[in-house]
Amino acid sequence: MTLTMTPEFHREVGIPRVAAIAYPYGRPVGQVGDREGQRAVLLETLAFLERAKTPGEVHHLPFQWPEEPSKTDWQPPEISPVVKFFLEEIKRAGREARTPKDS
Amino acid sequence: MGTPQVDGFRFLPPSLRAWIRRSIPAEPFPGPIPWTPLKRPLRKTTFCLVTSAGISLKTDLPFDMDREKKEPTWGDPTHREIPRWATEDDIQVHHLHIKTDYIRQDLNVMLPLGRFREFEQEGIIGRLAPTCYSYYGFQLDPRTLLQQTMPKMAAKMHQEGVEAVLLTPA
Repeated sequence: MTLTMTPEFHREVGIPRVAAIAYPYGRPVGQVGDREGQRAVLLETLAFLERAKTPGEVHHLPFQWPEEPSKTDWQPPEISPVVKFFLEEIKRAGREARTPKDS
Repeated sequence: MGTPQVDGFRFLPPSLRAWIRRSIPAEPFPGPIPWTPLKRPLRKTTFCLVTSAGISLKTDLPFDMDREKKEPTWGDPTHREIPRWATEDDIQVHHLHIKTDYIRQDLNVMLPLGRFREFEQEGIIGRLAPTCYSYYGFQLDPRTLLQQTMPKMAAKMHQEGVEAVLLTPA
């Protein structure tokens, strides 16, 4: 089974069992040194593994990250090569998403 | 009221979010999804942990970041074995898409070997297999990963009696 921050990828590849968590990239199990918090996430994930009966089942775990996304430091120190490579395309996607579509 | 649905893009900057969303279908996955039923209760099941975070032992070859810096659409398609006893002191992390410091400070945030050793001792799971694994998740062309790397990992899991795998993508 998969414990993932991005359950949307399930629509692309078809994952048998998805435990989705609203935690930042690079820390799906929890915060540094938070043994009890990590155990809670993993025990809930294991409980889902035991009860899931249908291929493709998605369970949204009931945990919230304590920081706002804009205050959460998860990004690499340098912009990643692929983002640098597609930067103009990425900026254009952002502009188009902000532009209201004609009705 | 139930648990809110997880928005996998909430931590991304808006432009990157818009760009990645374009490549994800809006509809559910159309094809058949593989399914292996859990054969035994958790307390008797042998587990293996796998992550895509680019973790390797300090004594092992690191994942290749130099080639990716030169070829931005290429990602290292190999894997590394991580023994079940590994801790932060034993590992290195190479990944160009996340901040890796947290994993070096506490391996459990990404590959929870310590937590699963506890679960084994407490009888919550049957056993943690001798070998766990990391590969590198940035794979725009996943053919080598799927056709060469994954079968090697699966063969060793089979040898070690693994019955359930927890995958933690980075």
